[in-house]
Amino acid sequence: MRGIKKFWSEGGWRDKFLLFFFRLIFVLTIAFFAALIISTIIQMQTSSSVGTISKNEIFFAVKLTLITAFSSSALAVLISIPVAYILSRHKFPLKNAVETLLFIPVVTPPVALGAMLLMFFKTPLGEFFESHFFGVVYEVPGLVLAQGVVVFGIAVNVIKMVFNSVGPEYEEIARTLGATKIQAFFKVLLPLSKKGIIAAFFLAFARAIGEFGAGVMLAGATTMKTETLPIAIYLNFSSADVRGACVFTLISLIVSLGTLFLIKEYAENRKPLLQSR
Amino acid sequence: MKKFRILGLVLVVGLGFSACGKKELPELDFFCGAAVKVPMDEIVANFEKETGVEVNVIYSGSGNLLSQMEITKRGDVYLCGSPDYVIIGEEKGLLVKGTSRRGTYLVPAIITPKGNPKNITCLEDLAKKGVRFGIGNPETVCLGLYCVELLDYNNLLEKVMPNTVVFAKGCASTANLAVLGKVDAILGWRVFKAWNPEEVELIEIPGERIPRLSYNAIAVGSFVKNRRLADKFINYVLSAEGKKIFKKWGYISDEGEAMKFAAEAKIGGCYKLPDKYFRIIGK
Repeated sequence: MRGIKKFWSEGGWRDKFLLFFFRLIFVLTIAFFAALIISTIIQMQTSSSVGTISKNEIFFAVKLTLITAFSSSALAVLISIPVAYILSRHKFPLKNAVETLLFIPVVTPPVALGAMLLMFFKTPLGEFFESHFFGVVYEVPGLVLAQGVVVFGIAVNVIKMVFNSVGPEYEEIARTLGATKIQAFFKVLLPLSKKGIIAAFFLAFARAIGEFGAGVMLAGATTMKTETLPIAIYLNFSSADVRGACVFTLISLIVSLGTLFLIKEYAENRKPLLQSR
Repeated sequence: MKKFRILGLVLVVGLGFSACGKKELPELDFFCGAAVKVPMDEIVANFEKETGVEVNVIYSGSGNLLSQMEITKRGDVYLCGSPDYVIIGEEKGLLVKGTSRRGTYLVPAIITPKGNPKNITCLEDLAKKGVRFGIGNPETVCLGLYCVELLDYNNLLEKVMPNTVVFAKGCASTANLAVLGKVDAILGWRVFKAWNPEEVELIEIPGERIPRLSYNAIAVGSFVKNRRLADKFINYVLSAEGKKIFKKWGYISDEGEAMKFAAEAKIGGCYKLPDKYFRIIGK
């Protein structure tokens, strides 16, 4: 019994076994995602095509996806910064309830979120906005809003964690040196949180590129108008065009992974610059 | 303690897998167009009770279902919103040729939100300035395809398309456009009024202006496991009992009754979107 215990002890075979196990899981995970891509390619080659995908349509969907995803995630991050700051640095009654409320975009299915947005624009307030500013429902701004709300949940929670991890001491020191609260925020907290905020933007952007449910509810599935890549994939499946859907799936993968890779490369190359501030 | 926990976990996972294992009951995979979900739920429940057969119903759009059948190589019975999809399904080898039969009939109508805010009375009104019009996506929703055909037949396609603010992704979501009231009118099926009697209004289209009627087609899938069972189910859906349930929910299950709305109209067949449609949307 004791022999086994020694054999299976920390630093012995147990650690070797666990490390092997971790490696195995790592390899299997990578293989799984590779298998997903390979099966899509195989399916694409074996399926017969019904419709024809025009170059125009592909170009339109890629452009619309990138523009809406960039706008929505930038908007979500910009709004998240002050919201996360208040949550991280202020105490107020019912704070717990408010924080729970901000989880709505994370826990609500996107389709339901899209429906809630649609219902909002049927209220007098929503109607007033649409008649005095610009159309949202079934329009491109509707896509941006739908994606924005979905990714806001990610952005605000990540940025709040970033602010929490910085700790208030730095700002307090700045305050003792005569800075106002807002000065301390801009000169101390924000620069220290820059990397985290950029990471929040990556996550939001990546999620926005793939957003389907909320957008299709609020903006419809109008060909050449609100047809983002996920909507194009859905439309191709809906017209029994599996091959077309596979083509759009692969394009969507190339576009989203490519963009993320480029942004990541760019940000990592700039790392010293970011830290020097 | 730890060992017990692991043992427990293994047991739970094992039980989970075994629960997914063999079933005693005969089974039927039924890929069904979502537009008939409400009556179909009832019909399927009755069939299961009477025969002891378990029917796995997969509801989705007609085209989506064909895609799923193609990918998974499954499907005993298929029901779609329009015969156009039977033709696609047969061409792709997903349906057994010659097994398609007519279910309920679908007659187009203009549907507006409650109160008809823009006072739409005829097809020409859809082209009026400021009218917000919605249709199903013509490339993916059979209703949208019928809509383009109907507008083109009445020489209104070029005039109405600029007012078309949204394409819905499915048949039921087209109906929802009118229910949610963010468009002034849609082109839908008469049955939409029965789905939401309180929320929408139905404006008749004169029979001579309707080029074609649609019907729900039901057919045997090529991957059928038990042909006799599939036929039995199809017969049940089309039986007097099934028709009674369809009728209860506002569907037209009798050809004569459908023809009352459009005596000259063709039934079924195939329509190809004209080039000018693609020009208009800029694809």
